[in-house]
Amino acid sequence: MTDALGTDADLPPRLPASPPDIVNPFVRKLEGFGPLSGTDRALLERLSAGGHVIGPRIDLVREGDAPDGVILVMEGIACRQKHRANGARQITAYLVPGDACDLDVALVTQMDHTITTLSPCRVVRIPTDHVKRLMDEHPAVARSLRISTLVDEATLREWLVNVGCRSAIERIAHLFCELLVRLQVVGFASEDSYEFPVTQLDLADTVGLSNVHVNRSLQELRRQGVIELKGRTLKILDRQRLRSIAEFNAKYLHLGTRAAA
Amino acid sequence: MSMKLQPVQIATGSNDRESRLVFENGLLVAVLVQLSGEHDSQAGKWFLEIGFGRVEDPHAPLFDDLAHAQDWIVRQLGTDAPRA
Repeated sequence: MTDALGTDADLPPRLPASPPDIVNPFVRKLEGFGPLSGTDRALLERLSAGGHVIGPRIDLVREGDAPDGVILVMEGIACRQKHRANGARQITAYLVPGDACDLDVALVTQMDHTITTLSPCRVVRIPTDHVKRLMDEHPAVARSLRISTLVDEATLREWLVNVGCRSAIERIAHLFCELLVRLQVVGFASEDSYEFPVTQLDLADTVGLSNVHVNRSLQELRRQGVIELKGRTLKILDRQRLRSIAEFNAKYLHLGTRAAA
Repeated sequence: MSMKLQPVQIATGSNDRESRLVFENGLLVAVLVQLSGEHDSQAGKWFLEIGFGRVEDPHAPLFDDLAHAQDWIVRQLGTDAPRA
């Protein structure tokens, strides 16, 4: 298959260079949902500091496992996925920098899905009692975290519409539009480009298409001069056209005035 | 079983055009498309564009040639496949 998005073999075992003057994506994301005090910001920075750099295609927690803290992605892209007995899988969400798994995960005894890195990631595990204290003692942070959960659910609804109601090219266009907005919010995308370290097979399992249909759609988007893929950098050459193909409206991301794309 | 392949060109919205309608006992059971050069290392292989009934499988493999594709379709249809 065309190596439009990179293959497993040539993925680097390290993180790509972080954007310069990077602001903590966790703080940046939550601050977008409402004002935070200096104390709140400092606390979030402490909670999200350190962590581990983890290679691609590593399960952070598996379906059936007991949850072990709240997983926070600070660099790279991870995903939520479900597997069928026959080996097929569906990716149901991307976790980009600043995104966490379910905050209330401690309320359930076992995971109903698997969380896996798609690219090299820096991942922080926040103990659930720390999250509870954060929610109890810092109402502004709690409010932003709750909005963040609502946005996760809204995004899942949008992805469901994607696989149920959109054509192959529309599904991919929609995902590319969404990621541009989400990555811009946390400082990981420029006006029109971002690192997209997701293999074509992962993309196929994200949008519920065969690898062949994904490849055809990417070629068509290139032919139309809408996107350019060089290595792992996705450049959107014609944002208006991409949005039009996808019928993309960023309202479900609840970003207020921040949705520049 | 009596399987017949009918060459046809399909507008897939890509350069993949060379195709076969696959009939089993006179009924259309599948459409196979040969992958073009835009699929790089997979070029020349046959892709199950669509399968009907028991041949439907969104995760069907790519086939090196039409003989392999037919073998796979026969297996999918099974020995107790409904006859025309």
